[in-house]
Amino acid sequence: MKLTDREEGGVVILEPKGKIMGGPDATILNERLHDFIKTDKRNVIIDLGKVDWMNSTGLGILISGLTTMRNNGGDLKLVNVTEKIESLLTITKLITVFENYDSIDDAVKSFKT
Amino acid sequence: MKDIIKEPGRIVIPSDPTYLQALDDFLEETLRGFGMADNDVADVAISVTELVNNAITHGNMNDSQKTVEVKIVRNSDQVEVTIKDQGLGFNPGNIPDPLSDENLLKETGRGIFIVRSLMDKVEFETAKNGGTRVKVVKKFTPVEE
Repeated sequence: MKLTDREEGGVVILEPKGKIMGGPDATILNERLHDFIKTDKRNVIIDLGKVDWMNSTGLGILISGLTTMRNNGGDLKLVNVTEKIESLLTITKLITVFENYDSIDDAVKSFKT
Repeated sequence: MKDIIKEPGRIVIPSDPTYLQALDDFLEETLRGFGMADNDVADVAISVTELVNNAITHGNMNDSQKTVEVKIVRNSDQVEVTIKDQGLGFNPGNIPDPLSDENLLKETGRGIFIVRSLMDKVEFETAKNGGTRVKVVKKFTPVEE
């Protein structure tokens, strides 16, 4: 997995690419999310459009990020969820937990309402 | 730490998540060789990496001197994958329901549930000489023969 991040309208946008299956890649994503809290960045979008698939390790990282951001007064939202990942979110009922948008613009705007 | 062993239909990795990428490469190569479609390859790869994660963490307790063996066999219209660790055994009946309200936001505990959802058959067995053996079966229609 490769990971890039950028900022748009005060919102951090994380773009993982590849597969999230555990091991060092998962650690990088988890640590990056927690780094944002230290720099007072609490509103995060994860763009999953280039993630082929993830297993429960990846889902655990998303939940960890979500609870960390919400506990610090922010939020974590998902964008461009692929069919494969959406099916995993659905069978695990996590689809009910995450706000999910079709575009980064819509997700960024949602933080301002 | 032990060395990785890779041969047709079989890979043995040390108990270290660093080797998951090598495992995934092996799975992709083998399953695509069977003519499996992308979606089915993903289902098997998700499930096997899930089970190997469990084998490393809960079975072998991250002991790098212990290994996890993965074997893949094509049997007509299905693939059978066997994952074996060197731990003390595992009781799949003891897993809390990951869909219950009190567990929904937990970071762990939904791996076996996902495997059962994606695979056509999942069997757990504690081997006589120790360790857990998990066999998963996925039916598929080859995209090309």
